[in-house]
Amino acid sequence: MSRGSESGVRAVGAYLPRLRVAPEELASGWGEDPAGVTRAVPDADEDALTMAVAAGRQALAAADATGESVDRLVFATTTPPVEEGALTARLGAALSVPESASRSARTADAAAGVRALRDADEREGRTLVVAADCPRGAPDGEREAVAGAGGAAFLLEPRAATLRVIEAAEASPAYPGTRFRRSGDDAVDGVEITAYDRTALREAMAAAAADLDTAVDAAAVQAPGPDSPYRAAGALGVERDTVAAGTVVDGVGDAAAASVPLSLALTLARVDPLAPDGDAGEDPPETLLAAGYGGDGAALLRLERSGDLPVAVDARPSRAVDFAGYLRRRADVVSGAPEGGGAHVSVPAWRRSLPQRYRLAAGRCPDCEAVSFPPGGACDDCGAVVEYEPVDLDREGTVETAARIAQGGAPPEFREYQRRIGAEYATAVARFSAPGGGEASVPLFVVDDGRSLVDGAGKEGGENLVRIGAPVEAVFRRIYTQEGVTRYGLKLRPLDSE
Amino acid sequence: MPEAHVVGAGQSDFGAHPAESYRSLFLTAVEDALAGDDGDEPLSPADVDELVLGTLGVGGRQLGLSAAAAATHVGVEGPATRVENACAAGGYAVRAAVRAVRAGEADLVLAGGVEVMNDLSESLPYWLGVSGETAYERLAGTTFSGVYAQMAAAHMDAHGTTREDLSRVAVKNHRNGARNPHAHLAFECTLEEAMSGPAVAEPLGLYHCCPTTDGAAAVLVASDAAAADLDRPSVRVAGVGAGSDAVGLFDRETYTSIPASRRAAERAYEAAGVGPDDLDLAEVHDCFSIAELLAYEDLGFCEPGESGDLLASGATALEGDLPVNTSGGLKAKGHPIGATGTGQIVELYEQLLGRAGERQVEGARRGLAHNVGGSGGAVVVHVLEHEEGGAA
Repeated sequence: MSRGSESGVRAVGAYLPRLRVAPEELASGWGEDPAGVTRAVPDADEDALTMAVAAGRQALAAADATGESVDRLVFATTTPPVEEGALTARLGAALSVPESASRSARTADAAAGVRALRDADEREGRTLVVAADCPRGAPDGEREAVAGAGGAAFLLEPRAATLRVIEAAEASPAYPGTRFRRSGDDAVDGVEITAYDRTALREAMAAAAADLDTAVDAAAVQAPGPDSPYRAAGALGVERDTVAAGTVVDGVGDAAAASVPLSLALTLARVDPLAPDGDAGEDPPETLLAAGYGGDGAALLRLERSGDLPVAVDARPSRAVDFAGYLRRRADVVSGAPEGGGAHVSVPAWRRSLPQRYRLAAGRCPDCEAVSFPPGGACDDCGAVVEYEPVDLDREGTVETAARIAQGGAPPEFREYQRRIGAEYATAVARFSAPGGGEASVPLFVVDDGRSLVDGAGKEGGENLVRIGAPVEAVFRRIYTQEGVTRYGLKLRPLDSE
Repeated sequence: MPEAHVVGAGQSDFGAHPAESYRSLFLTAVEDALAGDDGDEPLSPADVDELVLGTLGVGGRQLGLSAAAAATHVGVEGPATRVENACAAGGYAVRAAVRAVRAGEADLVLAGGVEVMNDLSESLPYWLGVSGETAYERLAGTTFSGVYAQMAAAHMDAHGTTREDLSRVAVKNHRNGARNPHAHLAFECTLEEAMSGPAVAEPLGLYHCCPTTDGAAAVLVASDAAAADLDRPSVRVAGVGAGSDAVGLFDRETYTSIPASRRAAERAYEAAGVGPDDLDLAEVHDCFSIAELLAYEDLGFCEPGESGDLLASGATALEGDLPVNTSGGLKAKGHPIGATGTGQIVELYEQLLGRAGERQVEGARRGLAHNVGGSGGAVVVHVLEHEEGGAA
C-alpha cells in the first residue's frame, strides 16, 4: 500500500551494549548452546530506557539537532522498566525533549519498533522514534539463549527525503502462544510447537508482503533467533542473500522491538556488531524492507534511501563476558541491598535534582561568571547568593581524581550493582566545561562495561590507580532502585578506552 | 580574656563492645575523668555546670536528645547539648565547653563524645556515608573511604606520593597504639603487611583505613578560678581554631589539601601565639592514612607534597622531633566517630601531665589536636600547654 506522507527519516542512531556473551560461554555453563549466537548483554546499570536514551542521543547528534526541537516522541520496547509509570516522560527528560511534546509508548509486541516507525511519519512536525529492548527468557531456556539487547532511533521530519517510507503493510492473524510474556513475568515464552510457530510466521509475513513491493536490496527481518529471518524469506518473496544483507543477528541477539530497527541502523551505518570499529565497507543499500514480526503478527515497511543519510552508532569495541558474569548481570544469582538507613534520598528530593542528573544543569553566577554545580545557594566562587543563569555543562570532560571501590568500601545501596558487575567499580570527579566559559566539577560513577576504565591503569604498580586527566563522557544509566523507583542519572564513560 | 583549662580527662576502652550501650560507655569515660589519677582531687557529677556531647548517632538510636539522655545517665543535671559535626563532633564539643568557660557562663563543663558503631553489620556503611555529600558524592558510589581514596589519588598524582608513604602511617600508628592500653587495634604491623592489605577503596587498602569503633571520651574544662581551686593538675587551652568548608570534595578549591584544616590551624596558632615548630606532639585526624599526610601539610609541619618524606624521616615517630598520633591515632586507637575529637584531647592531657606510660613523649609541654569532620567539611584544632611539661 503506497504512502502519501511527506515525512522522511532525517537521521538514524543506534546503541549496542558493550558486553557480549559468546556461544562457547553458554555452552560452558549448560553443556550446550542451542542458538550459537553471540549476543549483546546489558550491563548491570543498563535497561531499555538507558539504551533508548543512548540511541536517541545518537540520532539527534547525527542530525546535529537537539531534543528541544522534537515535537513527538515514540518509544517502542517489550521490556519497559516499568509496565506502567513515567517512561516516555523520563526518556524525554533525558533527551531534553520538551515536556509539551506528544509521546507514546508501544510495549506489547516484538514488532513494536516497526509499527512505531510506520506511525511516525503520518504526523506533523519532528518525531523521534526510539526502539530499545533487552528481552529475557527462562534462565535455562532457548529464548534466553538468544536474548540480546540494543537500541535504535530514527529522527523523522517533514520533507526529509534521505530515507522515506514508501509503502507499509500489516497482517495480524491470531496465533496465540507463538511469542508472549505473561503479565508480571519478565521471561518471554512460547508454546514451542515448531509447525504451529512456522505456519504463523509464514502466514503473517506472506499476507503483509502481498500488499507491497518486496523487491529490495536488503531486508531487515525480525530475528528472534538466527534462523527465523531466513525462514521468512520465502513468505516475503526475498532471497536469502537479501535477508543476509539487511539483517543482523550475530553480535546482537534477539533485540525484540529493537530487532528490525537495529538491523536497519547497522545496515545503513555498515557497522558489524561483532567488530563495531571495523571498516565501513561499501555503500549502504538504497531500497530496504523492514519486516517486523511478533505475537501480534507482521508489520512491513518498504524504505528508499536517496543521498547520504547521517547514521551514528554508539558501539564501543565489544568486551567478552563469561558465563558467570553474564548470570550475575542477569541478577539471577544476586541478592538485594541490606536493610538499613542513612543518607536516604527520597523520590521528591531525587526529582528536584533531575536537571543535574540528566543533563548536568549548572548555573553561572551573574556577579562573577563562575559556574556552580549544582546551582543553588551561594556561588562556589564569590560566595554571593545569586539567581544563577542556567547552563548545561558539556557532556565531555576530564577526570580530576578517581578511586576504585572494593566491596568493603561501597555504600550498601550499591551492593547489588557491585555484585552484578562482580568487581570493584570506579568512581571519579570529572571537570566539565560550560558553554560560554567556566567549568565545574561533578562526582559520578564510572560505568563498568566489563571493567572499563580502570583495568590496566596501574594496579600492579600500585602507585596511581586511576588515570587522572583521562577524557570521559557522561552517559545515561541506572543509579539504583529504592522504594521501587529506579533512579537514573549520568555516569562517566572513558572516551579513549580501547 | 579568661582562660580555659582541662582539669580532667577520661575515656572508655576503644574497641568493639557488644555488651555496652552509648550511655554505659559514656559513663565509663565520665567516671574516669571525674576520678582523675591517684592523688587528684576527685570530682562529682554535681560539680558539673553543663554538658556538651559530640555524637553522630550511628544507627539512628536516640538521634534526638541524645545529650540529655547521656547527661541523666551520668548524673549531670545542668543543661546538656548535642554537637553534631560528624567525625569532628567530639572536638567541637570541647570547643563549645571552652567557649562557655571563657564567656564566664560556666565554671566546669563536661565535654565528651560517644559512638557505638559495632551494633550494625551490613547496614553500617549506610551510616558511614551520612556525613559525606549525600546528594551527589554518595550517589557516585562513595562512602568516606572512596572520597579519601580520591584525595589520595590526587595527592599521588600531584606530588608523587606512594602507597609506601600511605603504609608508613599505619606502621607508625600501630606501633604507638600497641603502647596504648585503651587502643582498639593494639598490635604492631610491618610495612609489608600494611602494603598488602586487601583493597577497600584503591589506592587505599585495609591498613590505610581506621576501624569502626565503639567508645567514649570525656574531658572537664574549667575556668581560671575553678582550676585554681582544684587540687589536681591542669592543662591550659592555649588556642582554638575552627573552620568549615563545602561538604563535598568536588565543591572544594583543592583535592590535595583540606582548606578548613589550614584555616583552623592558622587561627589556633595565632590564638596560642605559637607555630608548628613550637609543638612537642600532635594528635591528627588519620581516619585514612592519606589524611595524616594531608594534616602534616595543612598544619604546617612540612611544605605541600613533602609529607611522605617527613614521615619517612622518622620525625613524626614517637622518638622523633614532633611525634604524631602517640595514642595510635584513629588508625590504631580507633575511631568512635563522636568520641574521637575528645579522645585526642584526652591523649594530649595525659602526655602533657606525663601520664602516658610507655608512649610518653618526654618533656612534652605543648600539643596540638586536629579533628576533621567528614572529608573536611568541619575542622577544629586545639593547642594545649602545660608549663612543667610531661615527664616520663
